[in-house]
Amino acid sequence: MVSNPPADYAGVPLPEVQIITNRLLSAETTEAVLNKLDVIEGVRQINMTGESIPKTINSGPAKGLPNNHTERKVINVNGREMELRYLVGAFYIELEVADEAELDDKLEEIKAACDSCIEFGYVLNVGRYSKYKPTLHDYRSE
Amino acid sequence: MAYKRQFYPGDSIPAKNRRRYMDPKVKLKKLRDVPMDDVVRIMGHRNPGEDYKSIHPPIEEGKEPECPIRKLVVPIEGAKHGDRVRYIQFTDSVYFAPISPYQRAWMYLSRYRGVDTGTLSGRQIIEVRERNLEIMAKEMIDNETFDPALTGIRGATVHGHACRLDENGLMFDGWQRYQWDAKKKEVVYVKDQVAIPLDRKISVGKPASQADLKKRTTIFRADGVDMREDKEVTMYGLRIHKLRTLGGYQPWAFKE
Repeated sequence: MVSNPPADYAGVPLPEVQIITNRLLSAETTEAVLNKLDVIEGVRQINMTGESIPKTINSGPAKGLPNNHTERKVINVNGREMELRYLVGAFYIELEVADEAELDDKLEEIKAACDSCIEFGYVLNVGRYSKYKPTLHDYRSE
Repeated sequence: MAYKRQFYPGDSIPAKNRRRYMDPKVKLKKLRDVPMDDVVRIMGHRNPGEDYKSIHPPIEEGKEPECPIRKLVVPIEGAKHGDRVRYIQFTDSVYFAPISPYQRAWMYLSRYRGVDTGTLSGRQIIEVRERNLEIMAKEMIDNETFDPALTGIRGATVHGHACRLDENGLMFDGWQRYQWDAKKKEVVYVKDQVAIPLDRKISVGKPASQADLKKRTTIFRADGVDMREDKEVTMYGLRIHKLRTLGGYQPWAFKE
């Protein structure tokens, strides 16, 4: 399996903010959250995960029929269109910051953005949750 | 002395509910009335009004082999007609669904005859002759063991029982067999249990509140009633564990 990173690896373990929401978010809320996070300076990349929503029914007698899930749709993030394939339940925000003080400022901005959109609350942690430099796997996959 | 049947130990709310659901003498409360035709549509085994597919020639005309068990057991209605065996499968959320799969098995076997049931982590299938199944399915959708938001009718791809709920409080379903009707504040089925689209939406009513569900549930949870808070239930679990560990397949041989 080739695993191309969604953004270029930073090479250094930049801090990553993990936001786990208490409820799975609708496409509308995900769009709102992303639009507020996207404008924050210093956000290097945002990855999301959640529960997968298939495009077509993938097993059983209805296999192959379109799924027509109301939350699987194209959302607009500050002018860029993207297709949601998940009912989103977590965000991983990589921040490019110089020091702890700047990190704290960014965290406040991120919290404010989330508080305004995520109705049922979330858990926020700071750490490093994904890889930041190529590993042997990346060389093997080429 | 006639042995009096016991069901489950404990004084906590989930323990009492387990006893209630299992005891066939307790009539479960009916909370909604989904029409029989709609139940048939959601199950998707036959069209409403269509004849049951049964063996031909009918059992009464055919020659049944000589069998003492056949003479002993009174067949259920579907078996008498030689119906097909069909199924309904429920998924129960871990977020205080009124009942959970394992208690469903206890309840089914305690309340109904002629059923075959199978337990999995998040779902419970019940297989039974078609015309009996429809009556049972309606009972189970109408009564208090069903909650529109936290119980799913899912024949295949049941994933979601342990997922977080969505913003409307519905259990996750990748195939979205049911949706939230924001106007009526109700849950509506738009697909049958294997995700074939329905001709029209079928309402199964309003979801219960969390406070109400905590009174109705059979689920012990750290943020509800912790199983360890109910001493009798804990002792019962420990006793079985002890007998199994020290007594193996001969628990009666183990002396305290």
